[in-house]
Amino acid sequence: MEGEILKGHLDMIVLAALSERPAHGYAVIEEIRRRSAGAFDLPEGTIYPVLHRLQQAGLLASHWVTADSGRRRRVYALTKRGERALAKQRAVWDQFSGAIGGLLGGGRLSQNPA
Amino acid sequence: MRREVEDHLWEAVAADATGGGLEAERRAVASFGDPRVIATQFAVVSLGTQARRASVSALVVITAVAIAMQARLSWYAATQWPAVSTMATFGAMVASIDRYAFWLAVLVGISAWVYIDRRRIPAAFTEEYRRQLRRFRLLSSVAAGALAASVISDGVLTSLRLLSARSSVETLLPLFSMAVELACAGALVFSLLHMRQRAASIG
Repeated sequence: MEGEILKGHLDMIVLAALSERPAHGYAVIEEIRRRSAGAFDLPEGTIYPVLHRLQQAGLLASHWVTADSGRRRRVYALTKRGERALAKQRAVWDQFSGAIGGLLGGGRLSQNPA
Repeated sequence: MRREVEDHLWEAVAADATGGGLEAERRAVASFGDPRVIATQFAVVSLGTQARRASVSALVVITAVAIAMQARLSWYAATQWPAVSTMATFGAMVASIDRYAFWLAVLVGISAWVYIDRRRIPAAFTEEYRRQLRRFRLLSSVAAGALAASVISDGVLTSLRLLSARSSVETLLPLFSMAVELACAGALVFSLLHMRQRAASIG
């Protein structure tokens, strides 16, 4: 999928990837690939500035654990604020995609366009 | 950050279909992405974090200066150390400047903290975020300038007091508290200059 389309939605994608369970950076990338059926194949390193920025915004929290390999690993999880932000973004996206779908599908516009 | 990246790369190597080796390591590094692009994205996060820390540091510094000032005044009262009467008018004028400059530093320092704390760090270094950081630096510079004026006024008032010092021991606490104020104000100015330099280097 085109990188520029992805860029504008990366925050929402990362929040959604962490919505089910806490995960470290590599697992977040893998979760995004899995749930998008390979449509979103990001350069893996780009996930880390996003994770740090969302943590600065209070949407994620992180803590260090020791992985099975013995390496120190940083695990991220949604905060309550992050859950609310994700729910809000989901609602906006549903409305937006519904409107676009209506236009591209050639059907009538909904009563409440985005 | 280095530990996170190392963990990521080793996990990518372990997950590689070939089971490891130099080729797997090469693929893991290639999949990670262009380090310059990632570093630029990180730089924005780092600058935003630095600005927030600077705003909190400014309030801590202002508080430390207030404590040092108060310690000195309490010492004068405890030792019944009189002010020099011949310079009373000049001393009163400097004390006014000191007071207003200090409260200006407090007010603008709090405003700067509130301003930057409410700004979300963007994914890229946009023109809008540059403007926000410039406004924050302006507010912080005004706070630092006002604090410097207050510290300089304190220095003048302390010097006037020292004219009537009865012993060298008596002067120790006032001199120490002035050193604390100067160090705090200097540290604040330095951190603001450093932040400005970093913002310019990110471009």
